[in-house]
Amino acid sequence: MTLSTMLSTMAAGMLRTCGIFLLTLVGSLPLGMIVALLRKSRFSVVRLLIRAYISVIRGTPLMLQLLVWYFGPYYLFGWSIRGWRFPALIIGFVLNYAAYFAEIYRGGIESIPVGQYEACEVLGYSKSQTFMRIILPQVIKRIMPSVTNEVITLVKDTSLAFTLAYQEVFSLAKQISASQTSFAPFVIAGVFYFIANYAVAFAMERIEKALDYYR
Amino acid sequence: MIIEMKNIRKEFDGLEVLKDISFGVDNGEVVSIIGPSGSGKSTLLRCATFLETIDGGEIVYMGEKAAHTDESGRAVYVHPKELRRFRSYCGLVFQQFNLFPHYSVLKNLTDAPIEVQHRSREEAEATAMELLGKMGIADKAKAYPYQLSGGQQQRVAIARALAMKPQILFFDEPTSALDPELTGEVLKVIRQLAEEKMTMVVVTHEMPFAKAVSNRVIFMDGGVIVEQGDPREVFENPREERTKQFLRVFER
Ligand SMILES: Nc1ncnc2c1ncn2[C@@H]1O[C@H](COP(=O)(O)OP(=O)(O)O)[C@@H](O)[C@H]1O
Ligand SMILES: [Mg+2]
Repeated sequence: MTLSTMLSTMAAGMLRTCGIFLLTLVGSLPLGMIVALLRKSRFSVVRLLIRAYISVIRGTPLMLQLLVWYFGPYYLFGWSIRGWRFPALIIGFVLNYAAYFAEIYRGGIESIPVGQYEACEVLGYSKSQTFMRIILPQVIKRIMPSVTNEVITLVKDTSLAFTLAYQEVFSLAKQISASQTSFAPFVIAGVFYFIANYAVAFAMERIEKALDYYR
Repeated sequence: MIIEMKNIRKEFDGLEVLKDISFGVDNGEVVSIIGPSGSGKSTLLRCATFLETIDGGEIVYMGEKAAHTDESGRAVYVHPKELRRFRSYCGLVFQQFNLFPHYSVLKNLTDAPIEVQHRSREEAEATAMELLGKMGIADKAKAYPYQLSGGQQQRVAIARALAMKPQILFFDEPTSALDPELTGEVLKVIRQLAEEKMTMVVVTHEMPFAKAVSNRVIFMDGGVIVEQGDPREVFENPREERTKQFLRVFER
């Protein structure tokens, strides 16, 4: 296998890695907010369920969660899992990251001084106006550093998709390396992850800068 | 009467903080509330502005009941939709300003009028600029709160409350978070509002200010109104021993 066929095979894997990365973010960033808000629900059953969900997600390895999502339907209900690989992967990633983002959001929401809520109340803002117009923008600014950390971790975590034999860049690197007895695929994968993280860090820094207009 | 509070009771976890307090404020009147810390002054203002719910008594704005006590002795408020209207009658200026840090000064003043009161942007901005002019900070319209001094921030907060065109404005120790050299500029604008006959209730420790500006002074201690009356009377000839003791602390 020439280096260029190796690269082009792996490029497909890189696209799949980007797919996992983007779908996970698109799903878990908003879902995390819903989870964070449900955690403060007035119904104690909801609060309890959300807390259980968060502690299970945080207390078990993502790799195990992926396996459960993939094989669970078969072992629990005897369902066929053909075509279920990618959905299981995305569900596993989204639910995992939503739990971590929810905790970040919660910390951010709790760090907003109560005086902000009181000012809104006196001015007659509704609950949703208060949250969307006054609280959320300030929360986003405060949590940016933690979100950046989490997003960079996600870039690296996408490699866990190899657990379900999904052909993203890391799985491919392993396969090609074994079949070609070559070290090059790992170098290519390493360079890819590094550049991806560099791009993420750059993008996040731009966002943080854009929010620098106030303190 | 703009507001009448009758037999207000309020407790926090069994601790009675307001014990049967009654008072009213007439249109154009300026009332100062003085008293030691912990006497319930903030709680009274927070009940009047619906930040806290009363446990008993009656709150009446412009002759309309916002809350009353039913036969079983529980305080009952009007429907939340109605309550929004009552909220629009009153404004509150906080000790800590509580400006919105992510909004410019102008947006701090126009956001609620536009989003809550559905007034037009042009009208809200014109009103805001006029108020900033009155507060002496028209040049700060585009600034963000963190770029302002404490005194300027508090003047923005006053303007933000006035931008809602309330019938009555409450102040909870508006100068207590300020460096001494900055209190004057804030007291000056409150004094100016008093001259324009804005109805106001001011909790303050600035005795000379209370004496000079208010039509009536209320001395609170331990959750009750101990004494009230003409500022000259209360400051120069207090009837109650507790008032005398309290005022003595402020004499130099
Ligand atoms: N949210 C609250 N929960 C419990 N106790 C409170 C709360 N707010 C005020 N208090 C108590 O009520 C009393 C009166 O407080 P406050 O109205 O702030 O007094 P002042 O403004 O005159 O200093 C104090 O004893 C205070 O500790
Ligand atoms: Mg107070």
